[in-house]
Parts: sequence; C-alpha cells; structure tokens
Amino acid sequence: MEKNFKQTSRTGSLAWLLQRLSAVVLFVLLLFHFLTYHFLTRTRAVEYRQVLERAQSWWFPLLQFAFLITALYHGLNGIWSVLEDYTTNKHWRLAWYCLLLTVGVVLLFVGTLTIIKLYTLKVG
Amino acid sequence: MYKRTRFYDFTYYNFVGSWAWILHRLSGLALIFYLSLHIWVIHSLTHGEKTFNAVMTFLSSPLFKLLEVGLWGVILFHAFNGVRIVIVDFFKGSLAHKQLFVALISAAFVLWALGSFMLLRHAF
Repeated sequence: MEKNFKQTSRTGSLAWLLQRLSAVVLFVLLLFHFLTYHFLTRTRAVEYRQVLERAQSWWFPLLQFAFLITALYHGLNGIWSVLEDYTTNKHWRLAWYCLLLTVGVVLLFVGTLTIIKLYTLKVG
Repeated sequence: MYKRTRFYDFTYYNFVGSWAWILHRLSGLALIFYLSLHIWVIHSLTHGEKTFNAVMTFLSSPLFKLLEVGLWGVILFHAFNGVRIVIVDFFKGSLAHKQLFVALISAAFVLWALGSFMLLRHAF
C-alpha cells in the first residue's frame, strides 16, 4: 500500500484523485456561477454596473480565480486522460502534454487578466 | 484470446455504464472547448461600457440564448454523471450504479428545465 502510494505520479492515481476532488469543487462553484451570471439577472443580459460592482468586492475575484484554476485543471487533465488512452507513442504523448500545458498557461493568463481588469475598471 | 476493447466497438453499448462513459467523455471535451472560447470572449468585456454593451447585445440574441440552454444541459449531464462517478469510486455506488444513473439524470433533468426557464425568461 505504502509502496504503491509513492508511485502515484507514475501510475496516475494522484491525477485520478485530484480529478474527483476538483469535480466536487466545480460542482458547487459552477452552480454559483450560473446563479450569479445567468439566472439571477434583472434584465435580458447581465448589466455592466452589476458585473463591476460584484467584480470589485474583495472576495469575488478570489473566488473567480479559484474557479478559473480548478476548471482549467479539471478540463485539461480530462483531455489528457482521454489522450493517454489512445496515444501509445511516447513522443506523441509528450507533444500532446506540452500542447495542453501551453493552452493552460495562455488561458490562465487571459482569465487572470480579465479578473484584474474588471477589478480595476472605474464604474462610469 | 484477449480482445482489445475499443470505444467504437458498439457491442459494448448495450449497457448503461458504457453510454454514461462515452457521453461523459464527449461532454467533457465539448465543455473544455467551450471554456476556452468563454475565457477568450469574456476578456473582450473589459474594454469599457460601450464594448461591454455591444458584446452583450450580440450574445443575448435568441440564438445564443438557445445555445445557452443546450450548454446548461451538457453541463448538468457532465456534473450529475460526475457525481455518480464519485459515488461509485468512493462509496459502494458500483452496487447500484444503474439506479444511480437514472436517479441523478432525472434530478439533472428537473434542474435543466428550471434553469432553462430562468435563462429564457427575458429572451423573447
């Protein structure tokens, strides 16, 4: 048992566990996301003022950042586990892994930029 | 002789679990594709009130509202089948995984109807 636990990075069981833990976190955060941005809106679309007011509280950006990281990890790790099932060539596996990592870094950058910009924009 | 199982071998699709498995993967891939687009598009909401309103008007047309209803459905399927996976993996869910599928997907369907109402209430 202990011996097996030390090999989690090789066997992928840590990725398996993290995929389920992030799933539980996302289940809650995504419901909250839909409630705030899509269900409890006063008009047809979300209003600029309403979005900025929320985005400029102290807790909302932190929650959004946690949401961004968890969603990206869960999604990209999900693609990785699908690719692992159908790619046996180790060079291809490395190429896919690098591609996913790059996509992850770019999206994390863009998403974080959005959170920061919404936090610093002046309400007109 | 051991025969390798392939996802396109439809003799395995007589079972609830096989369908749940392939649909979970397909919906997951669709969702990470959507998430990438979403992060990208939301970034264009940070260039001031004018651009924000222009983008939001474009995104709240009836076509996009209907696509949103579809997205909410895909999300709920993935989320509730995900709950089933967690119950099967961490508790004794494998003993009743088919019943769990029916129960959880029914719950998801109710939430889909409720959410769709909330999404479409200002749309037309």
